[in-house]
Amino acid sequence: MATLRTVADDPVSYALNWKAAHSRPVIGSFPMNFPSEIVHAVGALPVIIQESKTPITEGRSMLAEFYCGYTRSVADQASIGELDVFDGFVVADHCVQLLGAVDAIRYSRPEKPVHFAQFTSAMDDAWTKPRVDGRISDLKTEIETVVRARLTDADLARSIKAFNENRRLLRHFYDLRRSGRARITASEMQLLVKSSMVMDIHEHTAVLLELLDRIVVRDEAPDDLVRLHLSGHFCHAPKPEILDVIEESGGLVVDDDLYTGFRYISTDVPEDGDPLAALSTWYLERNINAPCPTRVTNKVDWDTYLLESLEASRSVGVVVLMAKFCEPHMLYYPELRKALEAHGVQSLLIETEHEGIPIETLRTKMETFVERIRRHPSPLPA
Amino acid sequence: MTLADQNQDKTNRLKSTRLGGKMTADYWDNIFTAKERGKHVVWYNGAAMNPLFQAAGLEWCHGEAFAARLAAQHLEEPAQAAGAEYGYIGELCSYARTHLGCAVLTQQTISERQTGVVGVVDQQELAAKLPAPDFFVNGYAGCSTGQQWDAMTYRVFDRKLPIFNVSLPMLWGNKPDAGYMRGEEWEEVSTYAEGQLRELVSFLEHQTGRPFDWDLLSESMSYIKRASELRLEAMQLCTLAPTPATYWDWVASIAPINFLPGNQALVDYFAGVKAEIQQRIVDGISGVANERYRVYFDGIMNWNKLGFLTRKFAEYDVAVVAGRYTHESFWQEPQLIDIDNPLRGMAQHYLLCPLNHGLRNLQELLLRRLDEYSIDGIAFHSTRTCRAMTNPQSMLAKSAERERGVKSFFFEGDVADASFYNDELFDSRLEAMLEAIDVQRMKTLA
Repeated sequence: MATLRTVADDPVSYALNWKAAHSRPVIGSFPMNFPSEIVHAVGALPVIIQESKTPITEGRSMLAEFYCGYTRSVADQASIGELDVFDGFVVADHCVQLLGAVDAIRYSRPEKPVHFAQFTSAMDDAWTKPRVDGRISDLKTEIETVVRARLTDADLARSIKAFNENRRLLRHFYDLRRSGRARITASEMQLLVKSSMVMDIHEHTAVLLELLDRIVVRDEAPDDLVRLHLSGHFCHAPKPEILDVIEESGGLVVDDDLYTGFRYISTDVPEDGDPLAALSTWYLERNINAPCPTRVTNKVDWDTYLLESLEASRSVGVVVLMAKFCEPHMLYYPELRKALEAHGVQSLLIETEHEGIPIETLRTKMETFVERIRRHPSPLPA
Repeated sequence: MTLADQNQDKTNRLKSTRLGGKMTADYWDNIFTAKERGKHVVWYNGAAMNPLFQAAGLEWCHGEAFAARLAAQHLEEPAQAAGAEYGYIGELCSYARTHLGCAVLTQQTISERQTGVVGVVDQQELAAKLPAPDFFVNGYAGCSTGQQWDAMTYRVFDRKLPIFNVSLPMLWGNKPDAGYMRGEEWEEVSTYAEGQLRELVSFLEHQTGRPFDWDLLSESMSYIKRASELRLEAMQLCTLAPTPATYWDWVASIAPINFLPGNQALVDYFAGVKAEIQQRIVDGISGVANERYRVYFDGIMNWNKLGFLTRKFAEYDVAVVAGRYTHESFWQEPQLIDIDNPLRGMAQHYLLCPLNHGLRNLQELLLRRLDEYSIDGIAFHSTRTCRAMTNPQSMLAKSAERERGVKSFFFEGDVADASFYNDELFDSRLEAMLEAIDVQRMKTLA
């Protein structure tokens, strides 16, 4: 766990060390739908850029204060040279705030290649997949140019297998937690997923396998804790101290749909057929497996998915973690609230900020929330 | 600035734009009776797709336009209160918040429910007037929020109504040859967007049960093209100093060019605007008395402060002469429109939304306008809930200073939420910029 914590806490140092050790390029990407396999397959290290813990300084002159913490942090990291280790940047998502942050990189580091492969976010249309196929093809060309290596189908197929194996392992940890037989705290689970976004995937898988050998698995799950689902928080990881307070208040987090959580590992890339086409299939299927409010679709709903998840994990309450100023989440939140209320599921909204939130106030809210559930237990969603 | 200066209205708005106000009011009055007349109604957001709806025989309600109209009339609060009660947080795009609030009210009216927060009178004033949609069309360029907004409106209406999304890729400028209306990227996305418009036409035919009237589309686009040419010719006349008309006159002319029907009245309106400006030049009449500073406005309009800001800038002898919102939008490249085959030119205009460019294109456009209008300073409306418009502002300010020595200031506000505006901050920041311009001028003279 210590290794993973070091990587998750300081991805830039990990990237620097990896680069020195391998003499290969490092490519920075952004949430939430970038296929890292394509970077890995050309021998470079794919790193999903994380929110930095440090206060925002130079970046304040790049983006307005009413941007989410992640995008302001990215602009700040670019401004102070924190991202200089990266040989190029790639983004697939069309979030208006994220594009502002990526433009801040282009402005402050004009010498760095920055490629935007816009994956169509309207998911129901006949022309979506061909369009995404085209963007992945462009992405391949761009990454080949930056890394100065050719991408072969065989290499990409191997990378896909490696990432799938990693995701499967992470999902196994989720299954253990959901069953209640293994005690994996929310902040530990975040560590497992966040480090996988940064580390060489083979190295990460090796660590996961070691951890799996050591994890204590009980015969029975404890029944004295309130089982909770964490929902929301896209792009970046909520601060571990928030997750700890949630569980210190008598809640047991058994599942989540956070991006730095189950959303990230929900879907594998098909291993048969053309590997490039498989990546766009993954993009489309991912939104069906874990519907995302940044995508536009009529076929699936986040609220329905959430209710089904609650049933599967036997969660009786939902803690909604919302990064302040996150518009997709702000737009969808009323629909979630409406669905939860209709099913008698209690929920608590917590807005998070880059600068942090008063922990003791949060503790009081959480304790009240857990107490409320204990007094008025909601029925398990049927 | 003396007290006497403060009390004196130095603005001289065009008279011809009043006709546009009447045309717009008539348009909405007509929309409000659509259901009584048995018409199909489409709710849409983003790009000016109204010529397609006109040719399909539909009545069209533009979400942003309705939210802007409510804010300009200071009628936005009941809709926003309904939205807040439903769960929309105050930091969400205030256009979306207002329009979704209207959707909530409209839906509640349909199902004969009442919120308990918004009074019956307000509901009648707002929701009952806005006809419920038969289907939705979204064609939002640049701003990801725009697409998600309609995805939520679809859900507010219980996921029952059809919705069509036109996906407009951002003009990011990846390729070395990329730039404003040039390069491989421009051609490629134009084709992609045009293809979707063709699909939209099929969707409209399906929804209306009628064949699409291509001749009517061509006719409508011929009026829009001519109106656009007249608008641009009139704008060009305002490169003169002192300017005969200001940015505020162009703001007043947004509704006609953005969503009124393409017809002879539209052409006559812009012919009238141009004629008045020409006459002003002959008569030596300027848009602002004693023009001393020429300012460019960057940001979406602060609709609830429209008249207030018009007077405020003029009090300081500032002529706001151009802006990103007015000058880089709304059929601003009429040469792209082929009347006989209009879909490609339409698609290209939808892509040219000023929210849909990466920073490089915006830098190119800004520098061009600074030169063209001999700009002294830039007012950046830091539009609180519009991340799409504010995205590049800090970097544009730095570019303008570095490339042209043009000063700027930022002021807070919002498109449809008056609570974000702070008058004291506005005054102090504008004054600071004007002082900096004065100092720069003195140095130049020395």
